[in-house]
Amino acid sequence: MIFGLEFPAIEQLVEWPNAFGDEGVWYGFNKIALINMVALVATSLVFILAARRKTLVDGTLVPRGPRNLIESAVSFIREGIIMETVGADGLRYLPFLTSLFFFILIGNIFEVIPFFHMPANARMAGPAVLALLTWIYFIAVGLKHQGLKYFWNSVAPPGVPKALLPLVIPIELLSTFIVRPFSLAVRLFANMLAGHILLVTFSVLCITLFSATLLALVLPFSFAMLVGLTGFEIMVAFLQAYIFTILAAVYIGSSMHAEH
Amino acid sequence: MLATLSVIVASATAVANELTPVVEETKNPILPVVSEMFWSGVFFMALWAMMKFVLLPPIVKTMDARAQKVRDDQAAAEAAATERVAKIEQYEAGLAGARSEAVSLLEQARSEGDAERRTQIAAAEADVASLRASAATEIADAKVRARSELASSIADIAVGAAEAVVQKPIDRSAQVQLVEDYVNRAGSQN
Repeated sequence: MIFGLEFPAIEQLVEWPNAFGDEGVWYGFNKIALINMVALVATSLVFILAARRKTLVDGTLVPRGPRNLIESAVSFIREGIIMETVGADGLRYLPFLTSLFFFILIGNIFEVIPFFHMPANARMAGPAVLALLTWIYFIAVGLKHQGLKYFWNSVAPPGVPKALLPLVIPIELLSTFIVRPFSLAVRLFANMLAGHILLVTFSVLCITLFSATLLALVLPFSFAMLVGLTGFEIMVAFLQAYIFTILAAVYIGSSMHAEH
Repeated sequence: MLATLSVIVASATAVANELTPVVEETKNPILPVVSEMFWSGVFFMALWAMMKFVLLPPIVKTMDARAQKVRDDQAAAEAAATERVAKIEQYEAGLAGARSEAVSLLEQARSEGDAERRTQIAAAEADVASLRASAATEIADAKVRARSELASSIADIAVGAAEAVVQKPIDRSAQVQLVEDYVNRAGSQN
């Protein structure tokens, strides 16, 4: 209780009971799992709708309807992320990066969807899994392109004077194999959790101020902040999906060539 | 040094022991939950597989086909532009050839015209000269005829006048010869 506001505990904001499976079991299915499932189903549905023949203007390759949206998104990932960070060699990783982008974006956007109001990535589990998979993926790409020399090239970049290696190796080891996945996961998780707490704070404030007292005079400001922050969170949802995806692309690109 | 370290370790252990029951009682909302990690992993892997084999290929295929069509159309446009330039050059070359041919034809026509003109002028001058010559001949003949007629008439008049003066016949042929000589001398002086 702060200044008469009953603010819920953090557990109440982010923890959800299982719809099936007892608490603590590995297969317990809760709201977060549901959002992740919706991310899979919604993405698949939009892509399937976009791939229909009807989404092309008759007899041409001109897109219309949902194909415009999906092609813009795919083009954004292909041209704006892969070509900018990896180059044409990285186009083969389009499926992984597209999946990352859509899975994170839809998971994030549930922050502002009525009756859900919970970004899946405000829980550490999702970002941790995605960061872990990205970590495994870029190491696998490195091994594929450079063989076992990848590990040495990663910690001792070519061109570094030998005298500096004792300093560079621990730093690179830490930054490439420990900090990268950790920062990927924490960045996404922390941003989404902070946004979620911010929206909850202003929602609670609006509810509390909705009373027959003088405090109701402050309500419009609080509500305006809530509306503004909701728009801001939509931007953050997109931005975080973009940042995660572009960093994954950068890490994959750096694994492909020793000079990185 | 070792004593200090052992004191620190002992203190840390004591603090940890004091905190351990609290940590066990409170669930940290930041730590990942296994079930959420499991479902998150399952759904992401499913999306990745779907994306790779089902969802993305038709979209990318259409995009690539469109990009290829754009490239082909651009190449065709560039080829058409090149062809247009070549045709313009060919046309201009033809035009220049026609121009030079026209100039040469004009020159040829002009020179032929000049030659023809000269020929015509020469022929005309020859005609004129011939006409002038024939006219001169005719004039000369006419002169000769007129002189002879004049001489005869003058001789006749002179002989008649002389016979009238002397009241006797005069040698007509000698008088005529005399008059003709005079007329001829007078004609040669004109």
